[in-house]
Amino acid sequence: MAGETKHAKPMTSLLSNEDNQLAAFDASTIPKQLLPVLDVEKSVAVKVVKVDPLALLKIVKHARESFPTSVNGQLLGLEINGVLEVTNAFAVPTQLGSEEDMTNYQIEMIQCLREVNVDSSSVGWYQSTRLGDFMQQPLLDVQASYQASPSTSSVVLIHDTSKSEQGGNLSLRAFRLSPTYLELAKKESFGTQDLADHGLTYGNILEELPVHVESSSLAKALVSELQWPQGVEQELLTEMQRPSSFNAKLRARRLADRSAVADDSETASDSLDSTLLPSRPTAYLGRPTSCLDLDQASGGSLNRQLEAISELIDEHVHDANQWMYWKRGEAKVKNSRNQFVQRRAQSNAAREARGEAPEPEVPEVELDRMFRPLPEPSRLDALLNTANLNLLTKGVTQSRGPALTKMFMAQGLHESD
Amino acid sequence: MLNLNLPTLASSIVKSGATTMATTTTQQCYVHPVVLFSVLDHYLRRNDNQERVIGTLLGVRSDDGRVIEIRSCFAVPHFETEDQVEVDMEHHRSMFALHKRASAREQIVGWYATGSKLSKYAALIQDFYSREAAPFSAVHLVMDTDLTDGQLSIKCLQGSPIGAGAHPENCMFLPLPYELQYPDAELTALQAAADSKESEEGYAVLISDMEQLEKSIEELKAMLERVTAYVQGVCKGSEKPNNVIGKYLMDMLAVVPKIDSKQFSTLFQTHLQDILMVAYLTNLTRAQLNIADQLQRIV
Repeated sequence: MAGETKHAKPMTSLLSNEDNQLAAFDASTIPKQLLPVLDVEKSVAVKVVKVDPLALLKIVKHARESFPTSVNGQLLGLEINGVLEVTNAFAVPTQLGSEEDMTNYQIEMIQCLREVNVDSSSVGWYQSTRLGDFMQQPLLDVQASYQASPSTSSVVLIHDTSKSEQGGNLSLRAFRLSPTYLELAKKESFGTQDLADHGLTYGNILEELPVHVESSSLAKALVSELQWPQGVEQELLTEMQRPSSFNAKLRARRLADRSAVADDSETASDSLDSTLLPSRPTAYLGRPTSCLDLDQASGGSLNRQLEAISELIDEHVHDANQWMYWKRGEAKVKNSRNQFVQRRAQSNAAREARGEAPEPEVPEVELDRMFRPLPEPSRLDALLNTANLNLLTKGVTQSRGPALTKMFMAQGLHESD
Repeated sequence: MLNLNLPTLASSIVKSGATTMATTTTQQCYVHPVVLFSVLDHYLRRNDNQERVIGTLLGVRSDDGRVIEIRSCFAVPHFETEDQVEVDMEHHRSMFALHKRASAREQIVGWYATGSKLSKYAALIQDFYSREAAPFSAVHLVMDTDLTDGQLSIKCLQGSPIGAGAHPENCMFLPLPYELQYPDAELTALQAAADSKESEEGYAVLISDMEQLEKSIEELKAMLERVTAYVQGVCKGSEKPNNVIGKYLMDMLAVVPKIDSKQFSTLFQTHLQDILMVAYLTNLTRAQLNIADQLQRIV
């Protein structure tokens, strides 16, 4: 999944020319309220991610169309005073060959978008996930390269398509790598000791940022238009009263009720190409969502999630065993080294007692060479595995709450009958 | 395929029309909400003293070209003066090539513009896009960003050649029925956008599934109460009865499955046990992970 897909490359290096131009400005001419924008040192850390509905919809669409493959793309926007505004996004092709192609693609895209006044600075990237186990090595690596340059703050947005579709609630989370992880990644040392020293656990590899959705006034006007178009109820009633207009009736039913999907696909498909027919007919926004998350059946994804969990547990056990094996090997080496030192000390004591000259002490370096300690396997894989397991189980636990509620609601409904 | 639904006049025009190479006309159009948001964003980011913006619509067509699904779009810079119009063709081409690489299925299906009325150069631009979208006709989407009558109206049009001569500037725009398309995943995103509209701070914080469920149940309750009030009103005679609504309500009630209460309680119990078991096991796993993590620190 995530391992096979190509990842977006940070654009910071590509935009460095611009930074030079900025530096040539006279700083005193900049209006005060613009100063935070030009805060090149980024003294304020990102606290909130604001997503425009446009970027949101683009991400959701891209993720949905290539479901269940995990896809990614670039986020464009601006950071002001600790608020990261994501105003646009574009998809990065998954089948691009070399990294050079990828970089070229992104440069060209950004140049084209800049011509139509779209924010042309990269603020991170997005990735879609299927079950919620997005904690993968490539993801961390890409995000690390994004965060490597201190002058940009970038986030990764994780969108879970299946959860959004089934839960009826948007699942979008924003993450940054924690400083602890970055520090260890720089040294490339993920031994048990390092992890314990720095306090890096499966829980704090990534820092989550709150996500806000903010729309422009025009977009708000559009949303209200979509929610309750003027005179829709009247139109609905009048259209339903005219038995002769079959089409109008069908349309009215589509407008009114999503559950009409089942029968209208039969009647409509004979004249239209059925692959092109939308899987769900048009429905106004206000109503259908409530049906969506009151849906009882979410068994399919639960099955998959549980399967993934049991797989991860197996892996976890495997990792633990491997670690134990290493630990035992290490103990053995240590043991024999101690024995050697002791024997040497004993024989020296015996020699002294016999009045002979003692053998020279073996220096530490020599000892290390003789009893080479086994290198500790990197704990990072195990750590990521644990993190995924934690994410998945948490997801399942959280989804149980609504499931229980729905069940009791069904019971209440049944009893009231 | 014989096109019966078209008026004979229109089909004869299409056949004789030399400028458009369209052999079939589009009959139905599905619009993805992301297109509308893109258009608005482009309009907000227009240059100074620019009245309208235009761009290319991308999407897919059915094999016979009668149904169009507009899936995405991109902005194209253009320049309008009193007597001429310039469209940045190069930008259009390179953007299309870039889009093609990310989503190969999407083709050019038409163009969009903003404003309350058609641009006087619409026919010319339509001609260009018809050639791009050949062998099918191009669709023109107009969004009224001036908010005439306080409404952000959206129109889908298709061009039809008019007059005897085959001139590209002779074009009549006929309305095309369109429907908005909301896939499940997009609905959730739109819901978030709708929440941002209603919140006082001007933005929406993403809420948890549980809160979302609570909201939905409340909505459902409100709907039920409204219907109950209406039905009681009709029974008492204070409300004017409406046969259509009555029939509709009957249909709805018929849909409610009738389950034997004994059977229901068994089903309920087993399902409940399953849920609790899953919750218990996942919690146990998490506790284990936590213990393992703590132990490793001690070692």
